[in-house]
Amino acid sequence: MNRPWKGIFDVKRTIAFTACLMLAVTACGTTSQNSGKGPATQAKCEGTGGKYVIGMSQANVAEPYRQRMDDDIRTAAAKVPQFEVKFADAAQDNAKQVSDVENFLTQQINLLIISPNEATPLTAVVKKAYDKGIPVLVLDRKVDGDAYTSFIGADNRDIGRQAGKYVAEKLLPNGGKLVELKGLPGSTPAQERSEGFHETLGTKVQVVATGVGDWLREKGQQQLDAILKANAEVDVVYSHNDPMAEGAYLAAKAAGRESKIKFIGIDALPIPSGGVKAVEQGRISATFTYPTGGKEAIAAAKTLLVDCKQVEKKQTLPTQLITKENAERVYREANG
Amino acid sequence: MSPDPDVTEVTENGRRRIDWRETLFSFQSFFGLIAVFVAAIVFSPRRNGEILFLTSDNLFNVVRAVSEIGIIAIGMTFVILVGGIDLSVGAVLGLSAVGSAVLLVHDDLGVFPAVLIVLAVGLVFGLLQGMASALFGIQAFIVTLAGLQIARGLARIWSDGQGVAIAYGDGPNEAPVTFSLLGERTFGGVVPIPALIFAGLAVLAILFLRTSAFARHLYAVGGNEKAARLSGVPVNRVKIIVFGISGLLAALAGIVHAGQLNQGSPNDGAGYELDAIAAVVIGGTALTGGRGSVVGTVTGALLLGVLNNILALNNIDANVQLLIKGLVIVAAAALQRLRPSS
Amino acid sequence: MANDAPRLVRMTGIGKRYGGVLACQDVDFDIRAGEVHALLGENGAGKSTLMKILSGDITDYSGEIAVEGAPARFGGPVDAQRAGIAMIHQELDLVPGLSIAENLYLGREPRTRIGTVDGRQMRVWTQALLRRIGIDLDPRRPVGELRVGEQQLVTIARALSLDAKVLIMDEPTSALSTAEVEQLFAVIDELRREDAGIVYISHRMDEIGRVADRATVLRNGRIVEEFDARSMTAEQAAEAMVGRPVRTLFRASHGEAGEELLRVEDLTVHPRRVRSGRNEPAGISLTVRRGEIVGLAGLLGAGRTELLETLYGAGSAGRWDGRVLLDGVDVRPRGPRAALAKGIAFVPEDRRISGLVLEHSVLANTVVSIVDKLRTAGLVVSRRAEQANAAESAKRLRVKLSSLADPVGTLSGGNQQKVVFGRMLLTKPKLLLLDEPTRGVDINAKAEIYQLLGEIAGQGIGVLLASSELAELIGVCDRVVVLRGGRNVRELRTSEIGEADLLAATMGETAAGGAR
Repeated sequence: MNRPWKGIFDVKRTIAFTACLMLAVTACGTTSQNSGKGPATQAKCEGTGGKYVIGMSQANVAEPYRQRMDDDIRTAAAKVPQFEVKFADAAQDNAKQVSDVENFLTQQINLLIISPNEATPLTAVVKKAYDKGIPVLVLDRKVDGDAYTSFIGADNRDIGRQAGKYVAEKLLPNGGKLVELKGLPGSTPAQERSEGFHETLGTKVQVVATGVGDWLREKGQQQLDAILKANAEVDVVYSHNDPMAEGAYLAAKAAGRESKIKFIGIDALPIPSGGVKAVEQGRISATFTYPTGGKEAIAAAKTLLVDCKQVEKKQTLPTQLITKENAERVYREANG
Repeated sequence: MSPDPDVTEVTENGRRRIDWRETLFSFQSFFGLIAVFVAAIVFSPRRNGEILFLTSDNLFNVVRAVSEIGIIAIGMTFVILVGGIDLSVGAVLGLSAVGSAVLLVHDDLGVFPAVLIVLAVGLVFGLLQGMASALFGIQAFIVTLAGLQIARGLARIWSDGQGVAIAYGDGPNEAPVTFSLLGERTFGGVVPIPALIFAGLAVLAILFLRTSAFARHLYAVGGNEKAARLSGVPVNRVKIIVFGISGLLAALAGIVHAGQLNQGSPNDGAGYELDAIAAVVIGGTALTGGRGSVVGTVTGALLLGVLNNILALNNIDANVQLLIKGLVIVAAAALQRLRPSS
Repeated sequence: MANDAPRLVRMTGIGKRYGGVLACQDVDFDIRAGEVHALLGENGAGKSTLMKILSGDITDYSGEIAVEGAPARFGGPVDAQRAGIAMIHQELDLVPGLSIAENLYLGREPRTRIGTVDGRQMRVWTQALLRRIGIDLDPRRPVGELRVGEQQLVTIARALSLDAKVLIMDEPTSALSTAEVEQLFAVIDELRREDAGIVYISHRMDEIGRVADRATVLRNGRIVEEFDARSMTAEQAAEAMVGRPVRTLFRASHGEAGEELLRVEDLTVHPRRVRSGRNEPAGISLTVRRGEIVGLAGLLGAGRTELLETLYGAGSAGRWDGRVLLDGVDVRPRGPRAALAKGIAFVPEDRRISGLVLEHSVLANTVVSIVDKLRTAGLVVSRRAEQANAAESAKRLRVKLSSLADPVGTLSGGNQQKVVFGRMLLTKPKLLLLDEPTRGVDINAKAEIYQLLGEIAGQGIGVLLASSELAELIGVCDRVVVLRGGRNVRELRTSEIGEADLLAATMGETAAGGAR
């Protein structure tokens, strides 16, 4: 009779349970309060005889570019017998990526590679790792401040500049009509790839239309569909990435104008569905590599951990122009 | 319908014997949590004989990571107890994270007014959803599905579609340093602040559901809405308030989110509503309403948190992690079906 | 008369155990062709269990079943139906969203030549079946739109459509009006002539006397007596069921009625949205005095339930004409909550659907209407006050239970009904509205409820009681108001009339002649 609400739940027993559980947790917790905090501020380096665990925190493995980055790291690391790499995927969630990094710290990794989903939310946890003396290699996207060991990435502005130069000098030296297909508005790469492009494009080429394709193939197709209807004359489509260029190609083909237009993309992933193959097969006329930095990250890790040397704070990866001439060779080498 | 109602044994002024099965089931999520906890210890990676899972840093990471989902799951529990569902909480979290960042950074508001405005926005948003559902008789699923879209849209508009970074300081376009308290990993070096907020809310919610007349009404509405209405329970008022609570807690979780990540981004909290529902379901609350508790939800959230943590510590492939989590939810629901008394 | 007819079904030595409880023990039961065999017993006596065994719902039992001499053991209801045994359940197992025709032929829809469902054929058959049981409904109407009584008739039609040799009817008349009961009895007579066997479960003694040939009484899972149903008296049956002499069924006099409490003047409701199957008040006038029990009689669709709901603020939204005065003051409650605040309480027709949260405790169900008045400080409800109120209510209403913490769904029907009563009485009403308060309640609990009604009236509470049981109306009420088509057509003093007069009044003068 003391538990009239028993039919619904029973709180006394519940509270007792919770209390026990909490006690257990805190008891366990306090006994190992100071564990897991390495005293060193310098990277642990035991030369070729050591064993090293590397944590790789990826922002979103669902994007082919980032999948390739993980693959590059895996391939490169397989050649270094001292390395074991653990991968985590944040699936585009900043909070998840913070947890991923924290879990790596719990596992007491020797080096962290991170390709952050966004800069600000991950700055704190990267700093936490760095302050513990764990070397941090930041790939592709930066974090705020300078609490990391090295940033490895390509320069989007520079890629844009090269693309602009290529159009101005090679494709349309006498001027012509150009369409620009932009990536997701507000994203840094979209901004930089556009700005760099216009720096070198010159004045002869006329930009007749600008579409926003949000990095997506189908959006690129839709946008160009409309643009082609409005513009009888288009000579070049400059797309901020390969998938949108492929979409644009499909739109042009549907309009029967694919042979009159040249398509330029960026990224040049050496994967079957990537830009290199598209160039080789003639759908896209040129694309610029946007290297993942995976191979370079493992090289840097080897320098730090095995060779016991320092690395540069910033390592900018060069881009490479892919055309029909070199596409087949580049693809083979990248996957060799 | 287990045994024929005709044959229920009625003993003279004796208590019914406590059925061990009943006990087991009413603590399903607890035993589940303990089982997962023990499994986590067993399968935890070790370093120099030390169980990494049990290090204080790691345990605090677990509770901190669970806190935001936990806070919205408490609100979700209220909604589900009346037989509703709130799909908008993840989006409201995003809206509130954006709101906090914009008010603190762009509008240079103080912490107190900014938090108050954001909470009010969440509360009003929830109440409006409740009104749409209760007064027009639209299913909660549909109302909050629309609410989800609206909240995301508002968040994008408020932030111009960009993540708004929170920088601290006294200058213009800097947030007051007080707010960074939420971003601090721990309070006094011991307990993570989000976990403190979560625990405090959980205690409040448990007491509220235990003691208030409103809670009696809420359980009645969830158990049998028609009977509740005919018993003089203000059904519409209960429903509206419940959605208000859910919106308010989602807003609070959004403020915590912004503090934790030093940023408010309109896409924050995507899919969180599903994690919250999962926590509620694992906690043994019936989606049909009328039965369940915040205690269950808290253990459900912790269970998911520990599970996430141990899977990550063992570097289980991200895709396999999803499979395992899905199976755990199905198992929890299946166990509920085996429950003897209902 | 039918004793030498061949046995359609013979059950011997039937036993069934639920955990530690014996629901049936060594029961022998048979059904002959062309007979109506009544099965009597209090709730929990084992009637439902026995019939669930026969209809294939329960498959793990001990003992033997023989159908027309051949041993049978059913793996499920479909097996039993194939053997010619069909059961009409007390709980309505219809799909609300489907039409009457679709419900009748669910799972065995007639097909056209190209294999699609032959809707026309289905409707024709349905129409014929419905006509046979004397109701005129469009076969295309969704079952969910029908009233409970009409739904019950549909389940009977469905059982008929199976062409069963043995038909089990569990409380088939509990939601039927008097006229419909007569129609059902006519159908039963016809089935009897066609040499079908019928098992008839009911709590209504008057029905059993009229329709059954034989009656078997179960108590605590055993057969205690078998009667010739035609010569059996209600007292004999009741005594066999309860195992001891039963108090008089109806209340003792509750004293003189006081001054006028409720006055309804020419009440008409114009609903904002017309819902089919509802019969809104269309010019009702009546009064209830303090301490008076006024009955509401009428056929199904006369508007009894709608009147009670309207007075309780739970009816259709819309405009009112006329007035409702409580203690001389105009009232129009916006909803049940407002009605309770004004002193109007309501016990609805179907306690399992509209009355109780079955999985919640007796305590929670008892105090739910008054919890917000039991607060000590701020939001907090006094647990002690809840406990005290619920305990007192259970004691006063003699609710049989082992603990207030038990889920109310585990109580018997009568005790569940007492919990709903108790909840309403805790609100200290001036006027109590009751809709079929003894439906599906066993005979003992019924007597207790009648006694309780006497006590309630004795305290000066006015009672307005809607019932389909004429004996109940005459036995319990001081006056009976007869409704037809949403308006009051007659008013009778129960001390001056018999059931036949009341029946005639409900059916209207023209139909009265053929009623009995």
